[in-house]
Amino acid sequence: MTEITPDSLGLVARVAQLTKSYGAGSTAVTALDDVSIGIRKGEFTAIMGPSGSGKSTLMHIMAGLDTATSGRVWIGNTEITGLQDTELTMIRRRRVGFVFQSFNLVPTLDIEGNILLPFELDGRKPTSGERGWIDELVGSLGLADRLRHRPHELSGGQQQRVAIARALGSRPELVFADEPTGNLDSRTGREVLSLLAASSATYGQSIAMVTHDPIAASYADRILFLADGKVVEDRTRSTAAEISEYMLGMESRS
Amino acid sequence: MNSFSFREHRPSILVASLSAAFGVSLLQVTTNLALAITSNDVLGSSAALTVMLQVIAIVFIVIATYVGAVVTANTFSTIIAGRTRTIALLRLVGATAASQRRAVASEGLMVGTIGAIIGTIAGSLVTFGLVLVGIALDFIPSIGYTYLEPVILIPIVGVVLTTWIASWVGSRRVLLVSPMQATGAALEESREEAAGHKGRNRFAFVLFLIGTAILALSVVVGMQSPVGVLVGVFGGIISFTGLILGAELIMPPTLRLVGRMLGRSPAARLAAENAVRYPERSSRMTIGLVIGVTLVTMFAVAAATFQKALSPMADAADVDPLLNGIVAVFSVLIGFSALIAAVGLVNNLSLSVLQRTRELGLLRALGFTSRQLRQMVTSEAAQLTAAAVIVGLVLGIGYGWVGAQSFIGTAPGVEGLMAPVIPLWLIGAVVVAGATLTAVASVAPTRRATSIAPVVALSVE
Repeated sequence: MTEITPDSLGLVARVAQLTKSYGAGSTAVTALDDVSIGIRKGEFTAIMGPSGSGKSTLMHIMAGLDTATSGRVWIGNTEITGLQDTELTMIRRRRVGFVFQSFNLVPTLDIEGNILLPFELDGRKPTSGERGWIDELVGSLGLADRLRHRPHELSGGQQQRVAIARALGSRPELVFADEPTGNLDSRTGREVLSLLAASSATYGQSIAMVTHDPIAASYADRILFLADGKVVEDRTRSTAAEISEYMLGMESRS
Repeated sequence: MNSFSFREHRPSILVASLSAAFGVSLLQVTTNLALAITSNDVLGSSAALTVMLQVIAIVFIVIATYVGAVVTANTFSTIIAGRTRTIALLRLVGATAASQRRAVASEGLMVGTIGAIIGTIAGSLVTFGLVLVGIALDFIPSIGYTYLEPVILIPIVGVVLTTWIASWVGSRRVLLVSPMQATGAALEESREEAAGHKGRNRFAFVLFLIGTAILALSVVVGMQSPVGVLVGVFGGIISFTGLILGAELIMPPTLRLVGRMLGRSPAARLAAENAVRYPERSSRMTIGLVIGVTLVTMFAVAAATFQKALSPMADAADVDPLLNGIVAVFSVLIGFSALIAAVGLVNNLSLSVLQRTRELGLLRALGFTSRQLRQMVTSEAAQLTAAAVIVGLVLGIGYGWVGAQSFIGTAPGVEGLMAPVIPLWLIGAVVVAGATLTAVASVAPTRRATSIAPVVALSVE
């Protein structure tokens, strides 16, 4: 089992026997309890669960933003368990992208500066190929006439599109999205979800999205359900109604 | 409604204490110095000398208190920015903006009072210590010295009032907080509007122009008579007041220029943007230092230029020690204002890092190393210090030269205009002080910044 790389399984990220607990003794809280999952390459995966299910903690650990109490984590074929801060930073910089719920842009930089930030942090200019890709993204996201604006001059939906352009711009192996529609109205939220789904379907971008919204999850190719720190269900594309039904069932079972 | 937090106001209390201690001690020292000088002079009238020394002392106290007030206004404005959500929540449940602002101002009154009390005690202790040392070294006679002269009420009341006013000025943005900001995750607030300052900036510009014209006139008058220097003092006060009021016109462009000199690395570029993010705040953050550097430079350059003009003359050697002594004493006294300004800079940088926790977490999440974060904060500190030092040096050399030129234009051996003489020690001292300040100012903020976990960027309040 240890000889098989995540890559050969078609996985872009993987966690094994992951446990995360806070505190100690009688006050200890277990956020993740022996979780083992893989995120498949080129798929749009939703990680669903009610508040406190551990879905955000799982994503933080997978993205190298937080460390696990025990268990192992891979991004691609690189095991990131136990990596030093600087090495983790390099992984985040070069191999993963992020879309956050809010406050996701640097207010002092204009839109173009924000989109190019991952390259800037890496101390390099985009190659002409990358430049072309970014121009294409900017065009398809409708940001072409906004490049010189500052984030606060844009609507929430536009800001989130900038964040998507930034996350996709460096063609990372995996994009993590944390409640990307949490601060958006439903129409703008649907647009953002369609964009994420399209980038996965059209360009084969692997995406892992954390959400508690059944409508958001219905855009994904695959849905993982978490409850009380455990994966309780793994299903393929489902409608919002089916997802809601399952969630309600989860409530009554617990 | 807002309970008074010592922790939050510690820097403002420190600034008020420093201003009060400086004022109280300086007046006590001058009063006692006059007593000491006249004690072995039977004919001497100590009253006249005391008043004269006290007037000079009060000029320095006014400068220090003004700088302290500017620093405090800035600290309050930064604290208010951090309290936006709380204020918005109180507004949401029905508090008026005016009552919120009054609450902040009453905190200012409290800060001023506490600072004045601490400062009075500390300042008196310093004077007492100086007197003891002076007597022990046989520098001053062992006579009865006085500490509780009514005149020390001037700096005490002055500090309380200016701190109160400063908190009122600094809390202006309370009025801009909308109750909406309590709901949901408000977007990063837009840049502070400079719209309300158009009138002030225009007034500042006019003052500067008039002052500069009077300065030019003083040089012309100085060609005929040393009275020119009095015209120059008048012009200098007017033009410098214009510069201080118009700091928002001068400091942001200087900061941008210095920012560009820091290089093109991502850390330096982001730092450059941060330093001009709130032009009003960074102008206030640096103007206190500008005042200090300008005045020290002015005295040093004026004295050096004056000495050079006199050097061919026979009695120059007699004047030199006296002049050097005056420059040294004035530098120390003004240096105190610069110290207060430095406290403000350190504190504001810390607060601004604290308030940018999410943004710094975002940078970490996107791949900024903690080393780069540290570089960024240090660059910001360097940029603020360097901008203040550069402006201060330029202004100080200008004023110092006009002062010397308008005084010695008629001196024998001086033909037409003299070049300003810039003492090397001055440049060295200013550079060392600036570098030290940058280093000290970045310690706490960099520690705080690098301890931020990248996860905070994803958390929702």
